[in-house]
Amino acid sequence: MSLNSSRSANSGERSKRSLNSTSSNPSNNSGKKRKTGNQKTLGMAWGSNSRSSSRSSFRNSPFSDFGSYMVEKNRKLQNQFDAGASSSSHSALSSGKPIFHGVSVFVDGFTIPSSQELRGYMMRHGGHFENYFSRHRVTHIICSNLPDSKIKNLRSFSGGLPVVKPTWVLDSVAANKLLSWIPYQLDQLANETRNQPKLSAFFALKSIPVFEDAVTHTTYPLVPETEDSVFKGGTSKDAVSSEGGQYLEYTRQSSGEIDDHQCENTNETIIEKPFSNDEKSSEIKMEEQSFSNQEEECSIKNELQSSPHRPSASVSSYYLDNARKESSSTTVVGCSNKGHSTLEDPNFVENYFKYSRLHFIGTWRNRYQKRFPRLSNEFKHTSSDLNASGVSQKNVIIHMDMDCFFVSVVIRNNPELQDKPVAVCHSNNPKGTAEISSANYPARDYGVKAGIFVRDAKALCPHLVIFPYNFEAYEEVADQFYNILHKHCNKVQAVSCDEAFLEVMDSKEGDPELLASIIRKEIFETTGCTASAGIAGNLLMARLATRSAKPNGQCYIPVDKVDDYLHQLPIKALPGIGHVLEEKLRRRKVHTCGQLRMISKESLQRDFGTKTGDMLWNYCRGVDNRVVGVIQESKSIGAEVNWGVRFNDLKDSRHFLVNLCKEVTLRLKGCGVQGRTFTLKMKKRRKDAGEPAKYMGCGDCENLSHSMTVPLATDDVDVIQRIATQLFGFFHIDVKDIRGIGLQVSRLENADTAKQGHQRISIRSWLTSAPATNEELCKTSCLVRKERAVADGEKQSTDISLGQLSNDSKRPSLQMSPSSSNNEAPLNQVSELPALCDLDMGVLESLPPELLSEINDMYAGKLSDFIRKRKGKNENVSGTMCTTSYEIYEGAINNGKQLHCSIVPIRKTPVENKVEKTLDREIATENSLLQSSEVEKVKQYKIDEIQEVSVSGAVSLNVVDPASALEKSDLMPSSLSQVDISVLQQLPKEMWVDILEQLPVHRKPEHSSSAALDPLIANAQESLCFKHTENNSKSVDSVLGNNLWIGNPPQWVDKFKVSNCLLLNILAEMYYRSGSTGCLSSILQCTLSKFLLPLDASSDGWDETISSLCDLLKQYIKIKIESDIEEIYVCFRLLKRFTMKSKLFLEAYNVVFPYLQASAGENYGGSLQLSHAKE
Amino acid sequence: MNAVVQRARHPQLRDYIHSAVSGLLPFIQKGLVERVAVIFFNVDNIPIERFIFKLAVNQSYDSKVEEAALEFSLRSFLIKLPVSETLTKALPRDCRWEITAYFHSLPDASRSKDAEVWIPTDTKQWQTPPVISPIKSMTTEPLCLQLYLEHPSSSEPNS
Repeated sequence: MSLNSSRSANSGERSKRSLNSTSSNPSNNSGKKRKTGNQKTLGMAWGSNSRSSSRSSFRNSPFSDFGSYMVEKNRKLQNQFDAGASSSSHSALSSGKPIFHGVSVFVDGFTIPSSQELRGYMMRHGGHFENYFSRHRVTHIICSNLPDSKIKNLRSFSGGLPVVKPTWVLDSVAANKLLSWIPYQLDQLANETRNQPKLSAFFALKSIPVFEDAVTHTTYPLVPETEDSVFKGGTSKDAVSSEGGQYLEYTRQSSGEIDDHQCENTNETIIEKPFSNDEKSSEIKMEEQSFSNQEEECSIKNELQSSPHRPSASVSSYYLDNARKESSSTTVVGCSNKGHSTLEDPNFVENYFKYSRLHFIGTWRNRYQKRFPRLSNEFKHTSSDLNASGVSQKNVIIHMDMDCFFVSVVIRNNPELQDKPVAVCHSNNPKGTAEISSANYPARDYGVKAGIFVRDAKALCPHLVIFPYNFEAYEEVADQFYNILHKHCNKVQAVSCDEAFLEVMDSKEGDPELLASIIRKEIFETTGCTASAGIAGNLLMARLATRSAKPNGQCYIPVDKVDDYLHQLPIKALPGIGHVLEEKLRRRKVHTCGQLRMISKESLQRDFGTKTGDMLWNYCRGVDNRVVGVIQESKSIGAEVNWGVRFNDLKDSRHFLVNLCKEVTLRLKGCGVQGRTFTLKMKKRRKDAGEPAKYMGCGDCENLSHSMTVPLATDDVDVIQRIATQLFGFFHIDVKDIRGIGLQVSRLENADTAKQGHQRISIRSWLTSAPATNEELCKTSCLVRKERAVADGEKQSTDISLGQLSNDSKRPSLQMSPSSSNNEAPLNQVSELPALCDLDMGVLESLPPELLSEINDMYAGKLSDFIRKRKGKNENVSGTMCTTSYEIYEGAINNGKQLHCSIVPIRKTPVENKVEKTLDREIATENSLLQSSEVEKVKQYKIDEIQEVSVSGAVSLNVVDPASALEKSDLMPSSLSQVDISVLQQLPKEMWVDILEQLPVHRKPEHSSSAALDPLIANAQESLCFKHTENNSKSVDSVLGNNLWIGNPPQWVDKFKVSNCLLLNILAEMYYRSGSTGCLSSILQCTLSKFLLPLDASSDGWDETISSLCDLLKQYIKIKIESDIEEIYVCFRLLKRFTMKSKLFLEAYNVVFPYLQASAGENYGGSLQLSHAKE
Repeated sequence: MNAVVQRARHPQLRDYIHSAVSGLLPFIQKGLVERVAVIFFNVDNIPIERFIFKLAVNQSYDSKVEEAALEFSLRSFLIKLPVSETLTKALPRDCRWEITAYFHSLPDASRSKDAEVWIPTDTKQWQTPPVISPIKSMTTEPLCLQLYLEHPSSSEPNS
C-alpha cells in the first residue's frame, strides 16, 4: 500500500510538473505526434486509468491532442527514471553492475513483485523501465499471466518481443548477470509452443539440419548458466520446464518467422494436431484415408497401434501421418472415383464406415476380448483370490506378438518369398504414391518401413514385392492365434488381432519360457507364421522383452534383470512415450531410462502432468501395475467424418447428421453402453482457405464443438438424433463451410442394468401384441391350473402353474423362486408391481379365487376393490377387515361371473401396522388411478403381473419397505370424493384416519352429503390439524437447521441427485461441474451457461421441486447473509435471470424473495436492490 | 499491496482521510466498530449515498494470520471498488461527504485519548430503510469485511 501511495503521489507531482514545463515547448511535439499516436498503451498503467482527468487537464493545456501529451509524458517519465537511476546507482554502489544494460522492460498487468519494485530493480541495475508500451523502445515484456485474447494474438500484443516472467529480473539480479530470458518465458506461451512447434522442430531436423545445429549452439552455452541461477533463485522448475518450449520458440522465431510459407505449413498441421490426442478421431482419420483409397492411406500397423493401450503410439502414428500429409501436400491428387462426397452419395456415412476395413480390423480387439467373456470373469475371481491368498506366488506375463503379421500372413503359403523383401500395401499402382502398411524383416533391412510411399520403398529396395491386404486370411490366422492362446492359458488379454498378453502362474504351469516356446511352435505349425514372445513379471516388461525377442524369438527378463535391462534402454522404447514426449525429454538430456530415473517423481509430475509423470516414473523403473484381463473401458464412443464432407444446404447436413447418429448408435450398442454427454465436433473451413490439396479433404479448418449432457444415459437413436440436431443448431455456421462432423458420446454407462428393464418391456410388448389365440391359451391353462389349485390348495402349485403358463406360451419364464426363498424376495417387488390400471380384466376374471386373492394381497387388497370398481357395481362388495390380522375380501363381479375372494391370511408381523398403512393408501391410490384408466391399457400388463406374483409370492407383503410406503403417499387421490366411502367404513378406524391424514387439506371432500362420512371428516380434520402442525414445525426446522448445506458435498447435492425432477438433477450435477466450491452463485452461473433449454419441461412434482428449491435458497441465505451479502446478491441476480425462462424458478423466487428482504433488513437495516435503473 | 489505488491530491483532504482512518484503528482492533460509512450529503445535509464498510473482526482469532490470503482478499476489494461506479448515481453539485463510524457502544472519551478525536455526529437519518447494493464481501480470518452501497428507497420522502 505504501508503495502505491508514494507512486500516486509521484504521479500527481509528475503530471503537475509536466503541465508546467511542456507549455514552454509545444512545437516540439508536433513532429513526433504521428508516430506516438500509434503507440499502443497496453496494460493497466495509471495514466490510461485517469484518462478522463488528463483529458480535462489538457482541455486548457497547450497540447493539441492526447498523442502529444503522451509523448511529453513519456519524456518526463524517462527523465525521472534516469534521475532516479543515477541517484540510486550512486547510493548503492554495491549492486552497481549494470546487468540490465540495454534492457528496457514494460510490465503488463499484475506481477509479483509489483511493477514498482521491478522498476526499482531496473533503475538500480542499469536497465530501463517503460510505463507505456512501445515496440521501438521496449525489449522485454514482463507479466505473470495474459488473457486468452492476448495469447491468441500474441504477435499483435507483443510485437514479437519476448514475454517473460518477473522472476527473470529477480534471478538475474540474484545471479548478478543478465540471464537468458528463454527459460523464463511465460508459461502460457511456453505451453503453447510446447504443443505446437514439434513440427517446426521437425522441419529444423529434416529440411534444415544446419540450422538446427546453429540453434543448438547458440542455446547451448545458456543452459548451464540457467541452471546455476536456478539453484540460487529457487525457481528451477520454471527454468528447466520451459526450456524445451523456449528453445523451440527460438527455433521457430528464427526459422519460421523468416519463411512465412513454411509457417503456414506448420500451422496447417498444428491445427490438426489436437486431434491426435483423441484416439478415436485419429483412428477414423485413418479409416477415412483407407476408404478414400488415395495415396494418403496410412499403414495398418499404425491403425493397430491406436488401440487404447498405446495412446502415445497412436499419437506418434498420427504424427507421422501428419508429416506425410505435409510432404504429400505438394502432390496434386486427382481422383476419378465417384460418390466420395456427401453430396453425391446419400448413404455416405454408412458406406464410409462399411468399406473401411481397417476400421473393421481395429475392432478386432474387442472381438477377441469378448470372445471368452465367461472365462475372463472366472479369471477375475481367481486372480482376486490369488491376490488375497499370497503375494509370494508371482505370476508371469507372456506377451505374444506375431512377427510382421500383415506380411507374414499374406506370404505364409509362399515359402519362396519368406526371405525376400515383401511389403503390404493397398495398391501397387505405378504412381507409387500409396503407403506401405507393413513390411517384413528382409524389407526392413533395406530401410522399408511402414508408412513410406511405395515409390520411396522401391527406390530403397528395387525388388520389393508388394502384396495387397488379404482380410480373410487375417481373420483366419487371428482366430487360430487366439484359439491357441486360449488353449494354453486361460487368462488372455487381447491387445490387437495379432498381439496378446497371457498371464501364467510361475509354479503351476511350469517354466514360462517352455510354455512360450510351445505356444510359438504351435502357432507356427498351425498358421505358418512366426510369433515372438516376451516373458517378464509385468505387462510393461513383457512387451519390452518382446522387442528384444523379435523376430521369431523369445526373451525372458527375470525380476532381478529388470534394472540392467532398462538402464540403457532408450526412452522411446517405453510404451507411452511417443515423439512428443521423447522430444521433451530429449531436450532435458534424457535419452535412456537410466537417465530418466534420475529425475524425481515430483518434477516429472509437475512437468508432464500427474498421470504422465507417474507413468514415466514407474515405467523407467519397470513398474507396471496393470493386471492382465482387465479391459480398459473406453471413455467415449463416437464417429467422425472429416473426409468428403460437403453440403449444399441445411437438408444435406441434417441428413448427414441423422446417419452419423445411426452410426454412433450402432457403435454404442456394439459396446453395450449408453452415454450421457454428447459432443458434436465440427470442422469449419477457414475463411481464407481454398479447396484443400487433398481430394475431398478437410483442408484448413477451425475446430468447433458443443456438448450437452442429459440426465439419463441413452443409446436410443431418436434421442441421439434430437440431441445432435439441437447441438448442430448451436453452431450457427454456413453448412457450405462444414468440412467434417463428429459425434462423440461420453460418460458411458453400462447398458446391462437397463437391459433388464428392456427384457421386461419386451415381454410386455409381446404380451400386448399377443393374439387372441394366445389369450385363449391362457384361459385354458388357467382352467387347468384352477383345478390343480383346488386340489393342492398350495401356493407353490399356483406358482408352478404360472410358470407353466408362461412355458405354454413359449416364452422364457421369469425365474421361479420357490416359496422358501420368498422371505428374501426383493423388498422392492411391491413397488415394481404393475399399476392396477394396467391389469387385464379378462384374465383377472378367469383366475381361480386363490390366485386372485394372492394377487389381491400383492396389491394390498386393492385389487378386489379395483375389480369391483371396474364393473361399477359395488353393492355386492363387502370388505371386512379384522384386527385379528385376517383380511377378508369378497369381491363380486356382476359381469356374468362371480368371483369370490377367499380369506387370505396375512401373517402377523411387527411391521403389520405399516403394511396396513400402505394398504390403505393404496386402496386410495387405486381409486385415483381408476379415474384415468382406460380399458385398452388395462389389458397389457396382466400376464406380466401374474408372473411377478409367481416370482415374489404373497409373502413379500410382509416385508413392505416403510420407505416405499412413504413414497406412495403422493399417489393419493386428489379428492376424498374419489374415495369409496363404503370401503372406508369397513376399514378399522385407525386405518381410515390414516388415509384421511394423507389427504391434504385443500383436498377435503367437497360434498359431505353422506351422513356416514360426517363423523369421519370430523375425525379426519382433527388428525389433519395435528398432522399439519407437525408438518409446519418440520419445515421450520428444516429452514433453521441449515442441514442442506452441511457436508462436502452439501447434503442437498445428494438429495437433488436422486430426485426425480430434471431441474434438481441438473443443479446437483452443476455442483460438481462448477468445481464443487459450494458457492451457489457459481452453480447457478454454470447452469445458466450450460442449459439453454427450457428448464421446466416436466410438470410432475412441481410443488415438491419448488419447496426443495426454496428450502435450499433459504438455508443458503441464512448461512451467507451475515458474512457474504455479495454472494447472496449475485445468486439472486442470477435467479432473476432464470425467472425469465422458467416459471418454476419464478415461483420459487417469489417465495424466497420476501425471506431474503426480511433477512437483509434484519442484518443490514435495508432491502436489497436487485435491479438497477440503468439496466 | 501491489494494486493500483486512487489517492486524494489535496494535502488537507489527504490528512483528513488519513487521520480518520488511523483514528479508527484502535477501535477496530478492539472490535468496537460495527460499520464505517462514507456518507455523501446534498446541500440540505441529507444523505444521498452511503458507502458502508461493515466490519467484523474475530477477536478470538489468535492463530497466525495468513498474510497472503488476507492480502489477496483485500486486493480483490481494492480492485472491485473502482469498478463499482456503475452502481452509483450522479451526485448533484455542492455535495459534501464525511466519514462516519458506527460503534457497537460509544467509547468512553475520558478513558482513552484516542476517543477525543471523534465527535458524535448528528447526521440526519433516512425515514425508511434504504436500498442496498452489495459491492464486495470478503471473509478471511480474522477479518470479515463487507462493502455495500445504501441509497434512499424510492418511498423516502424527498425533503
